[in-house]
Amino acid sequence: MSDIDLHASATGLQPGGAGQVSLVDLLDRLLGTGVVLAGDVLISLAGVDLVEIRLKALITSVRADMARRERAEQ
Amino acid sequence: MSGNARYVFAVARDLDVAELSGTHGFQGAAVEAVEHEKLAAVVCDVDLAEFGAEPLTRNLEDLAWVERVARTHNEVVWRVAAVSTCAPLRLVTVCADDESVRAKVDSLRAGLEDVLDRIEGRQEWSVKVLVAPRPAGETSPVAPATSGADYLRRKRQASDRRRDLSVEAEHIARDVHDLAHTHAVASRRLAPQDPRLTGRPETMVLNAAYLVEADEHEAFTAALHAAGEQHPSVTVEVEGPWPAYSFAVLE
Repeated sequence: MSDIDLHASATGLQPGGAGQVSLVDLLDRLLGTGVVLAGDVLISLAGVDLVEIRLKALITSVRADMARRERAEQ
Repeated sequence: MSGNARYVFAVARDLDVAELSGTHGFQGAAVEAVEHEKLAAVVCDVDLAEFGAEPLTRNLEDLAWVERVARTHNEVVWRVAAVSTCAPLRLVTVCADDESVRAKVDSLRAGLEDVLDRIEGRQEWSVKVLVAPRPAGETSPVAPATSGADYLRRKRQASDRRRDLSVEAEHIARDVHDLAHTHAVASRRLAPQDPRLTGRPETMVLNAAYLVEADEHEAFTAALHAAGEQHPSVTVEVEGPWPAYSFAVLE
């Protein structure tokens, strides 16, 4: 990949560009994708999928919070 | 737990580490390369008081912390992808030291080479298809129902209309996916994002990633913009290029 190609973004995706990438778009890509190179620290705790599991739990709780807030507003 | 460890952002090939000078990871730590034969793991120091196993379990429940780490991770991956062939690692990969990083890279070397071969000269594009909610007036009858049977009939008709619309949207999503796929070397469908997470009223019916040759991206985006114009009942969103996050998965 060349420098020029990556930065010739029509939508300003690159960090510091015109458009800020939404967190949900970012987590779509950073969770469960990417090379899994399990780290020592995580392995010593609970195994390779710990981060993913905890982040899924986090997102579930965010959804629940948002749903509660929506109900309260109605 | 105290002391430092190494946070690994990505594994790169054909990386000249001098091109990353001035790139910072967490807490201002310089980004460095841990080289192993032809591969380089891109790392920075992190404090185990923040990234150790125990603090991590707390920090991963703090969305602001996750966002900060995700954005920093993404920024570094972008810098690396701009100057090399880059396989991004999953968020929060922490190794004890450089020796451990090298051992990990070595044990996965064949898979890493396959991943790098697959993504070299290619970029990831995101395509979403969204359906706007119908205005309330279109689905609710204007005149009051004249009888219980009339009410039930109208209710059934409204439900049929909603079903027809969602079937149509699914068809369009499949067509858009098929079209995008013909311009890509690989594709991956992700779960549609919940409106509560996007903060938008539309329903997402396609959320997919496509691996596209760097010199084919104009044809790819042009075909999808044309598809969007052909289907005014939906919005087709094309974003990119991304580093090849969705295609850097070790088999």
